[in-house]
Amino acid sequence: MTTLALYSIKGGVGKTAAAVNLAYLTAQAGAKTLICDLDPQSSATYYFRVKPKLKAKARGLIKPGQAIDRSIKGTDYENLDLLPAEFNHRNLAAIFDRLKRSKQRLQKILKPLQAEYDVIILDCPPNINLLAENVFNVADHILVPLIPTTLSVRTHRQLLNFFKKQNYDTRKIYAFFSMVDRRKKLHVELSSLVTQEFKRVLQSPIPYLSQIEQMGLHREPVPAFSPNSAASKSYQALWAEIQACVLSA
Amino acid sequence: MKDSMIYENLKFRLPDHYDQQQMITNLDEQFPIKPEPPQAVRLAFYDTFDWRLYNNALVLYHSEHGLFLRPLSDVTVLQQARITTPPVFVRDLPDGAMKDKLSAIIEMRALLKLAHVYCYTTTYRVLNQDEKTVVRLACEEYRPSDEQSAPVLAVYLVLKPVRGYDKNAHQIADHLKELELAITSEDPMQAILKNSGKTPGDYSGKLNIALSPDMRADEATKKILCFLLDIMKRNEPFIKGDVDTEFLHDFRVAVRRTRTALSQIKGVFPAEISTHFKEAFRTLGKLSNDLRDLDVYLLNEESYKALLPADMRDTIDPLFEYLQEKRDAALQHVINSLESRDYTRLIRDWTAFLQAPAGDSPAASGARRPIINVAQRRIDRVYRRIVTAGYRILENSDDELLHALRIECKKLRYLLEFFTSLFPEKKINALIKQLKQLQDNLGDFNDFDVQIEYLRKIAEELPLTGPRSRKTLLAIGRVIEKFENEKQAVKVAFVDVFTGFAAPANQAAFKQLFKPKKKEGAR
Repeated sequence: MTTLALYSIKGGVGKTAAAVNLAYLTAQAGAKTLICDLDPQSSATYYFRVKPKLKAKARGLIKPGQAIDRSIKGTDYENLDLLPAEFNHRNLAAIFDRLKRSKQRLQKILKPLQAEYDVIILDCPPNINLLAENVFNVADHILVPLIPTTLSVRTHRQLLNFFKKQNYDTRKIYAFFSMVDRRKKLHVELSSLVTQEFKRVLQSPIPYLSQIEQMGLHREPVPAFSPNSAASKSYQALWAEIQACVLSA
Repeated sequence: MKDSMIYENLKFRLPDHYDQQQMITNLDEQFPIKPEPPQAVRLAFYDTFDWRLYNNALVLYHSEHGLFLRPLSDVTVLQQARITTPPVFVRDLPDGAMKDKLSAIIEMRALLKLAHVYCYTTTYRVLNQDEKTVVRLACEEYRPSDEQSAPVLAVYLVLKPVRGYDKNAHQIADHLKELELAITSEDPMQAILKNSGKTPGDYSGKLNIALSPDMRADEATKKILCFLLDIMKRNEPFIKGDVDTEFLHDFRVAVRRTRTALSQIKGVFPAEISTHFKEAFRTLGKLSNDLRDLDVYLLNEESYKALLPADMRDTIDPLFEYLQEKRDAALQHVINSLESRDYTRLIRDWTAFLQAPAGDSPAASGARRPIINVAQRRIDRVYRRIVTAGYRILENSDDELLHALRIECKKLRYLLEFFTSLFPEKKINALIKQLKQLQDNLGDFNDFDVQIEYLRKIAEELPLTGPRSRKTLLAIGRVIEKFENEKQAVKVAFVDVFTGFAAPANQAAFKQLFKPKKKEGAR
């Protein structure tokens, strides 16, 4: 059983796209997979054509037990289930804060599911708050999409510093390049600098490609609607590298 | 925690020549449906010769996607392993849940291919307004080959609910029921095996002989012996193929039971016939003694090693290498004797004798007696002999006496198993269970004793040179020491086990079933 988090302090870095496509590839490989949409923007939920829960009454993530089991939806793909986003996930950090052991809430909630699934993938909202700290505790590995820009690199440094300060295990963090534009000189240069500066930087980049944006139109993972496209291949390469370097490490 | 139906598939049997295309078209008018590209997959089914998986309600099959284990009559895969070549033994499986589960069931037995089949599946996805899949309907068609003309062995429509969309699943299920399609729990494997002439569960090492109390004793005995001959004949080709160790084991047990039947069911055949075949089967049994011993040592390699401290474990390897070499020779010896003229003649003569109609021979006085009387008298006598011998051992626990008692117990066990069908099932099974405890104790004692003896002998003939050999001998010595301790412990335990076996309640139970009733007015 492995729990992987797709996490970034910044928004709009290709986090949800990666979570959805990696979850699809994992399930296709035969692993029983659950993708948890923790982001109230509910993009992952949308991609799988599931309606997010807009009702005010929180169920799944707040009260552990039966509720979460009932919230889970099967997707269009074998082996792949989804825990849909709920609108009040926007308050999760505040709700956890009021509870005991507030940084381990997510761990407690996901525990029964960890027995049922081979892989759990968390699609996290862009934030560094109590919910994020819950993610840092529950995830075995944290995958951080990194756009090769100066600001992104700076943010990554901030994340690592936060980990060190709060005594989280920085070895959990793996970065991979996202939305890479090979035509931009800066992207190419920064990519090599990042690899030099940080440990655990994966070498399979996700390029900036229109097929990835088309996921919103198709409402399907890229490898499902365009299996031989460059975008699909880049996620497959990333997945292979994660299996080889992260999961077997 | 789980609702009644959420995760369960519903399987409907489609009648022969059913127009499923039309049915889907009709369904599409009410529920939007999207078909997926049809898929064809070749499945090969596996089980052990004695149907261990089938007896545990499990189905193991291999396809290009890997190896799958599922419950009988259910499509939900319990475990899967991504291996391209199907395994023969448990040790060929990758470590994981499937290996753990199967090793307890299959143990040392080989997996044999039962049959293969081509499964053609078309999956129809039922969609909601968001074009989200809410139910899957899979049409599965099984054919014995991939030729167009191949007959259809079975067709099913499987309703696979999608988690979280129970209402839709209920809706579709109701619709299918209205079409009067019947829900079935039959397993396609049954039809596939039937097609290839196989009957699940048709072999077991256990005896299952239906006798009636007033059958002539010679006929009943022949029926028992025929059953045993059949076991020998069925195992024999697999011994020659060296498929796994248990074919020889079952063969040998059948030979031993044959000898016991010939010697213990007295007076039913002419003496010279009984003597001749008893002797012939004794020789046959002896031919494979070495091979069986070696099989047992080699099967127990891991447990031998477990007796040694971790850093000593490898040092005993030369012993097992040597035993393996010896086994190759012993196997050849057994194969040669099974291919010999003597063996062919024995089986031919024996078959002829068993098939000949029962005649009246003055040399066999008991031939016409009802089998129930013969059975009762013999079981009663052997039982009483065991009780007497056991009490003697409580006073003097000589090793030889324990060996003799073990052999007597084996005879009693075989007799009880030959004649099980003549007595109330519950009662006789309870007695067999009681006896088994005593046999286990005596068997353990014998195993340790024999192994100690064998290891001492083999240590002398091991071709050892150099400093490694000292370590090997040291390891063997260590194992012998452990066995000596175990042997003494088993001997101590005998007192309690035997006292339980000879307890008044148990004696009374034996008496009630087997003590010949005195004829009324015969004083």
